[in-house]
Amino acid sequence: MATTTTETKMLTLCTSDKQQFQIEETIALQAVTIRNMVEDECASNVIPLPNVNSKIMIQIIEYLKKHVDSSVSKEDMEKFDSAFVEKKLSEIFDIILAANYLNIKNLLDICCQRVADVMKNKSPEWVRRTFNIVNDFTAEEEAKIRKEHEWAFEGVDED
Amino acid sequence: MSFKVDFGGISRRGFEMKLNYGLGSRSRRVIQDTWVVAAEAEMDDGLSRSCWANMPSELLREVLVRIEASESSWPLRKSVVACAGVCRSWREIVKEIVRTPEGSGKLTFPVSVKQPGPRDSLLQCYIKRNRATQTYHLYLSESQALADDGKFLLAAHKCRRPTHTDYTISLNAGVQFFGTKFTVCDGLPPHAGAKMTKSRSTRLVGSKQVSPRVPAGNYPVAHISYELNVLGSRGPRRMHCVMDAIPVSAIEPGGVAPTQIEFPLSNIDSFPTLPFFRSRSNRMEKILSSPLDGHRDRPLVLENKAPRWHEQLQCWCLNFHGRVTVASVKNFQLVASLENGQARSEHEKVILQFGKVGKDVFTMDYRYPISAFQAFAICLSSFDTKIARE
Repeated sequence: MATTTTETKMLTLCTSDKQQFQIEETIALQAVTIRNMVEDECASNVIPLPNVNSKIMIQIIEYLKKHVDSSVSKEDMEKFDSAFVEKKLSEIFDIILAANYLNIKNLLDICCQRVADVMKNKSPEWVRRTFNIVNDFTAEEEAKIRKEHEWAFEGVDED
Repeated sequence: MSFKVDFGGISRRGFEMKLNYGLGSRSRRVIQDTWVVAAEAEMDDGLSRSCWANMPSELLREVLVRIEASESSWPLRKSVVACAGVCRSWREIVKEIVRTPEGSGKLTFPVSVKQPGPRDSLLQCYIKRNRATQTYHLYLSESQALADDGKFLLAAHKCRRPTHTDYTISLNAGVQFFGTKFTVCDGLPPHAGAKMTKSRSTRLVGSKQVSPRVPAGNYPVAHISYELNVLGSRGPRRMHCVMDAIPVSAIEPGGVAPTQIEFPLSNIDSFPTLPFFRSRSNRMEKILSSPLDGHRDRPLVLENKAPRWHEQLQCWCLNFHGRVTVASVKNFQLVASLENGQARSEHEKVILQFGKVGKDVFTMDYRYPISAFQAFAICLSSFDTKIARE
């Protein structure tokens, strides 16, 4: 069994479903919210994260572990990021909420960009269907929006 | 709408499932540092689908800002318009994010064609003429090519009458023309501007057919006069263009041009009725000196840049910086007239340039304070060659 020369400081994160994740502090501190909690010493060894469940936490730790590694080249990091966001939109949604709560800016960025990319070239109907959003326009507003779309899509091939 | 009810059902179901998930118990698990992600496929995708509707608006905004930024040119920019048509909250956010062409240099919603062009540069467009159908289509250039597959902006249909020419401008490229009708009249009677407006408004039958709710706000878009010089039709014409809807103050430092924010509801396709006058008279002084006294409220006057006689080429020349390739008496560049009382620097800036690049293709570049619509109307008026020949 190899012995570590320097003691690695560990933090324990406790998710909403009461699961505990023990990770290196340097990894966890990339999340500004966690860093603030540690700096303010308002947390003991166990940091409660009531807004993040374990399923999402697992993915966020995967992300943080990669990003703490300074030996990863910029290209490899970008490759990792683009592979990382290849998830179901429902998961992306939860990660966005968690990244926002934990204040991990780059993670929030790549997830929002992923959603933006999904919506490119799509009709409002498609967006409503995919994101389960209710069309709350009045018939009058709807008519106006239809005209707007006819103009925007004028001369463009249907996709 | 049965549509709404259906979605409501799904939405509620989705919410319940989320609650179940949150309460689901699992054994405690300590994740070590060497932990490797195991993809869990157990999660039903319907689980949090409904959440998108409840996404905090600041996060939704983060997403929409990215779409607006990355889809900066047409045809991809239609995605921005699509997002504004999803639901009310999305529309509100997108409308906040999208800036007017004046600041962004981009056209996004149909109303952009009625808003002043960019302050810093000319927005490059081109007009295609179809002689057989008497139609003109205006496109936004999306590449440096003189006439690429640009974004359709406006269509105009010309109808020549015995005494005048009617143009109908529309946001619809199709064969039906329910748009703004304007009239180009040659040699208007020698009345003051206000009276002319009134006397001509009866001819503008367009708006009433489109929608009975359109306020009958007849106001002129511009008065244009073309004057021949001593050389007759062979020499350059002098254009004099009074922009009735734009005050002189718009081009003063810190000045603003009127900017329409939205089309009236249910009436996107028809602009307010816009009488449009052209005359070859030199009676402009009367119009100018009529009721508009306070000089800041006076309408902006544009005039064409005087071409220089090129000895070697033996022709009148203007520098279009490569945007015009065919010599034509109709090519022109409009600048703010010195009679506006502005600094000379304002007088140097080309506000609208129009010129021939092919048999039926013309470039039309415009900038603040005029809109694509106004620019198009001015260019259409110049298609009538009758005056130049007289």
